[in-house]
Amino acid sequence: MFQNNLKIVWRTLRKNSTYSLINVVGLAIGMAAVLLIYRIVDFELGFNKNFENYDRIVRVVRHDRNAEGENWTTCMPLPAANAVEQAVPQFEEFSRSRDAWPTLTVPDPNGGAPLKKFNQPDDMVSFFVEPAYLKIFKLKLLEGDPNTALRDNGSVILTKKWAEKCFGDAHAAMSQTVIMDNLVTLTVRGVMAEMPANCDFPIGCLISYATLEANSRNYFYGEDNWGACSSNNQAFALLKSADQLTAANEVVRTVGEKEYKMEGGLENEQKVHELQPLSDLHYNAELYNPTGRIVTKNRLRILSFIGLLVLAMACFNFINLSTAQATQRAKEVGVRKTLGVSKGQLIGQFMGETATVTVISVLLGLTLAVLCLPLLKLISDVPADAPFVMLLQTWGFIAAMAVAVTLLAGFYPSIVLAGFDPIEALKTNTMSRLTAGSFLMKKQGLVREGLVVLQFAIASAFIVGTIVTLSQLEYIRQKDLGFDKNLVYSFNFNSDSASMAKMPVLRQQLLQLPAVESVSLCSDQPSSGNTWANNFAFPASGEDAPFNVSLKYADASYQKTYGLRLVAGKWLEPSDTLKEVVVNQTLLRKLGISNPDEVVGQELRIGSRRKVRISGVVEDFHSHSIHQPLEPMLIGSRKIYYNWAGIKIKPDNLAATTAAIQKAYDEVYPEQVFSGSFFDETIAQFYEDEKRFSNTCKGFGLLAVFIACLGLFGLSIHAASRRTKEIGVRKVLGASISSITGLLARDFLKLVLISLVVGFPIAWYFMDKWLADFTFHVDMNWAVFAIAGFAAMAVAFLTISFQSVKAALANPVKSLRSE
Amino acid sequence: MIILKDIERYYSNGAQRTWVLRKINFTVKKGEFVTIMGPSGSGKSTLLNIIGMLDKPDSGEYFFLDEPVHNFNEKRRTELHKHTIGFVFQAYHLIDELNVYENIEMPLLYRGVSKSERQSMVADMLDRFNIVGKKDLFPSQLSGGQQQLVGIARAIVAKPKLLLADEPTGNLHTSQGEMTMDLLRTLHGEGMTVIQVTHNEKFAAYGTRVIQIEDGFVRSDSNV
Ligand SMILES: Nc1ncnc2c1ncn2[C@@H]1O[C@H](COP(=O)(O)OP(=O)(O)O)[C@@H](O)[C@H]1O
Ligand SMILES: [Mg+2]
Repeated sequence: MFQNNLKIVWRTLRKNSTYSLINVVGLAIGMAAVLLIYRIVDFELGFNKNFENYDRIVRVVRHDRNAEGENWTTCMPLPAANAVEQAVPQFEEFSRSRDAWPTLTVPDPNGGAPLKKFNQPDDMVSFFVEPAYLKIFKLKLLEGDPNTALRDNGSVILTKKWAEKCFGDAHAAMSQTVIMDNLVTLTVRGVMAEMPANCDFPIGCLISYATLEANSRNYFYGEDNWGACSSNNQAFALLKSADQLTAANEVVRTVGEKEYKMEGGLENEQKVHELQPLSDLHYNAELYNPTGRIVTKNRLRILSFIGLLVLAMACFNFINLSTAQATQRAKEVGVRKTLGVSKGQLIGQFMGETATVTVISVLLGLTLAVLCLPLLKLISDVPADAPFVMLLQTWGFIAAMAVAVTLLAGFYPSIVLAGFDPIEALKTNTMSRLTAGSFLMKKQGLVREGLVVLQFAIASAFIVGTIVTLSQLEYIRQKDLGFDKNLVYSFNFNSDSASMAKMPVLRQQLLQLPAVESVSLCSDQPSSGNTWANNFAFPASGEDAPFNVSLKYADASYQKTYGLRLVAGKWLEPSDTLKEVVVNQTLLRKLGISNPDEVVGQELRIGSRRKVRISGVVEDFHSHSIHQPLEPMLIGSRKIYYNWAGIKIKPDNLAATTAAIQKAYDEVYPEQVFSGSFFDETIAQFYEDEKRFSNTCKGFGLLAVFIACLGLFGLSIHAASRRTKEIGVRKVLGASISSITGLLARDFLKLVLISLVVGFPIAWYFMDKWLADFTFHVDMNWAVFAIAGFAAMAVAFLTISFQSVKAALANPVKSLRSE
Repeated sequence: MIILKDIERYYSNGAQRTWVLRKINFTVKKGEFVTIMGPSGSGKSTLLNIIGMLDKPDSGEYFFLDEPVHNFNEKRRTELHKHTIGFVFQAYHLIDELNVYENIEMPLLYRGVSKSERQSMVADMLDRFNIVGKKDLFPSQLSGGQQQLVGIARAIVAKPKLLLADEPTGNLHTSQGEMTMDLLRTLHGEGMTVIQVTHNEKFAAYGTRVIQIEDGFVRSDSNV
C-alpha cells in the first residue's frame, strides 16, 4: 500500500511538475532560511556553555540610580572588590579581572630590536587575573602548573597559538620571556588551549594580577577609593552551588551601602552591587562585555520569528496549490472511498504525500543552507567553518522541522481532499460541478485568498524594512558628522615618557612624507566609543554647571587633520599643557548663550581648580555614534594624555602611504608594534549591528518576496487553466489581449493591495521602534510606503502577467475544442 | 439480499424540497441481475448510490443481508465497501496516475491481501479480460471499452457479492457495450448479484428483471 501510494505521489508530482517545483523550491528556501537562522540562534545560545561551571559562575556588577536615570556597570572599585570578596560566604572562588589589549614582543637576548612583534588580534581579549580565575572557569593548562602559573608578578599564560607564534611550540615557550606593551617583562608560566568561537572570553593571554598591581601607573590602576570606577575592572566568582545565587545576591547588595554615600556621590544616588550569572553575560546589552558581542534574546526572538515567517509562507504556497488542485484529485478520492477507504486512511495518504515533498525539500534546503553558510557573516558572528551538518543535534532539528512543515502544510489540504463526497466527486461532470462555486470551493477560495494576503503583507513589511534600514544607513554614510572622516589614517602609541619623548621625531618624519598633509596627536579621535566627562563652571568664578562636559585633548593640528569647523574665535595655539580650550555649540546652547563670539576670550573652570581661556567655538560634531545625542564638549591641549596620532593623507596610492607611515613608525619605535586603521572604517564599525540588521531585512525580504511570487505564479497558472474556456469565448467575442490579461491580473492585484493595508502598519510600528534607537534618523514618510507599495504591486503584476499574457494569447479554437 | 422500505430522498433548496426518490419499495434476492431504467433525472443514480451506501435516504429503511443499513456507522459501511460491494461507473473513473495493473490491484491493497496472492488475483483478471498485454499502460493510453474492462476488473477483483453498475455502457460504442454486457452476464452466471442502470432496451434484456423509475417513483417492476 505504501509503495502504491509512493508511486502515486511520484507520478502526481511529475504530472504537475510546475506546481511540484514551486512547492519544492519554496519549501526548500523556507527551510534553508530556518536552518540558517537556527545556526545563528544555536550558536548564540551556546555562548559560554564550554565552561563546566556555567551555572555557578557570576560576575559582580553594579546598578546605579540617580535623578537622571539608571545605569548598569561592570566596574568594581578596588575597595568594593575587597569588600565583596570578604562578605560573601557562598563564594567558593573569587578573582578580580582586568581587560587588556596588549602587544607582545619577543626580545632579542643580545639587546637588539625584538625578534618578533605581535598585536593582539582584534577578536581576542587578554586579562589580568588572580590564580582563582583558573579554578572559576576550570581552565586546563597544556603546560605549567595551575597553582603557580598566575601567582607572581610578571607571570603570563599564553594560548597555544601565541606560544607557537612566539616560540615555535608550546613546550618550548615555557619560562621564556615576552615583553608586553613594550613596558612589562613577562615570563611564560603556562600554555592553555584556545577558547571556542562562541565564548565571551576569547583569551589571548592571562597575566597575573600581581603584574597589574606592580605596574599600576602604566595601566591607570589602583585608585583605592569607592568613587574611582572603570568598566574594565571586573570581578568574577564561583558559587559553591548554583542555587545559592539568591542568597549570595542578598549579601552582595549590602556591600558599600555606607561607603558609596560617604565618597562624594550625587544627591539621591544609589549604587547597589548585584551578581550577574554567566548565563546572562552574552545577552544583556545593559552591561559591558569586552568582546562587544552582545546579542539580546529579543534580537534572537526576532530572528527566529523572521525564519518562521519565511517558512510559513512556503507552507502557505503548498496549501494554496494543493487545494487549488484538489478538484483534479476528486475522482481519485471518490474511487478510493467506494473501495472502502476511510477518511482517516485518506488523510494519512495525503499527509504521506506532503511528507514526501517535505523530505525532498529538506534535502534541497539543507544543501542550500550549507552553500549559504559563508553568507552568515553578513548578519552574524557565526564562523563559516564551525561544524554544522555533521552534528546529531542539527539532524534532530531538521527532523523536527520536517514534521512541523508536514503538519502545517499538509493538514488542511488533507482534510479538504479527504472530505470530498464520493457522489459529488464521481458525477460525470465533476470538474464543472466542483469549480462552479459550491460552498466548499468558496470556502477554500477564501482561505487561499487570505493566505495570499498574509504572504504579501509579510513580503511588503520586509520591503518597507529594507527600504528604511537602507535609507538610514545611507543617511549615516552621507551625514555631515561635523568633521571629515575620509583620508585620515590613525594609530595609537604608548604614552609612557620614553615613547612620548620620541614622538616629535616620528611626527617630523611623517610630515616629510609627500603624501602626508598634517599630523595630529590627541587623546581621542573626534568620534569614538570613549567618554571622558568632567564637572566644569562658566564663568570660571561661578557655580558648577548642572551638567558634565566631555573632554578631548588634542594639539594644534587637530582641526586641520579632521576638518573641524570654527564658528567663532581661533583654534588652539601649539602648547604641551592646558592653557586654552575650544568649546562646542552644544555647550553654549546648554548654557543658554546664543552668540558664540560672546564667550571667546573668557575663562571657564574645569574640575574644581583649573581655569582656562576659551580661544574659539567649534561647530558641533558627532563625538559618538548617531545613536547618541550631541554632547557639550571641551577640547584643549595636554601632551601627557596623547596616545592617538591622526594623519591626513592625499588620496593617491593609499597602500604605499600607509606602508611608509608604518616604516617611519618602525624606525622610531623598533621595539613597538604598529597597528593602524582608517578613521572612516573605524566609524563604519559603530554601525555594524545596523548593517547586519539591514542585511537581514534585505536577505530574508528577498526570500519572502520570492516565495510569495512563486505562490502567486502557481495560482495564476491555475486560474488561467480554470478559465481557459471563458477566455476562449471572450476572445471569440472580440476581447483584446490586454483586457483579458487585465481580467486575470485584477483579482490577484486586488489581494496584493489589501495585503499592503495589512502589512504597512505592522512595518511602520516595527521600523519606527528601530529608528527611535537613533537620536538622528531619517523620517518614515509616505514615499517609503509608496515605493514599497509600488514595488510589491510591480513584482506581483510581473509574476501574474507572465501567465495571463500566455493565456490571453492562446488560440481560442484550441481551448474551446478541447471541452 | 436487499430490502428497501419506503425509501425517500429529497434535496432542500432553501425552504423548498425537491423530491428525487419517493416511497421506493422492492427487494433484490441473491443472484438476481436487476436493470434500473428511466428517463434522465428520474433518480436512478441516486437510488443506486443509496443501495451502494454512498448516499443515505432521508427516510425509509434499508436492509442489506438482513442488517439494517440505516443504523450502520461509517466503519461498517467502509467494511462492506471493502469486501462486499463493487462499483462500475459510466466514466470508468480509473486513476490516471496508476497503470492498468496497479488500478486493478488497488482494492486488494486496502484489503491487506499478501503480495503473492495479489499478483495471482490481478493476473487472473488480466487473463480473463484479455488485457495482459496492456497491463503497463496508463488509462489515457486505452480506448473507452478497454478502460471499462479495467473498471470492471477493478470492481470484481476482490470478489464482491454485489456489483453496482451505473450506465456502464453509456460512453461506449455498441460493440464495446455488448462486450461489457456479456461480461456482466457471465459474472451473474457465476453467482454474482448485479444491479445496473441503463437507457438501452437491448442491454436491459441481459438482466433477469427490469425496474422502471419515473419522477422518483417505481412505475413498473417485471421479470424479463
Ligand atoms: N446534489 C444535488 N443537489 C440537488 N439536486 C440534485 C443533486 N444531485 C442530484 N440532484 C437531482 O436529483 C435528480 C435525480 O438525479 P439522478 O439520480 O442523478 O438522476 P438520473 O441518474 O436518473 O439521471 C435530478 O433532478 C438531479 O438534478
Ligand atoms: Mg444517472
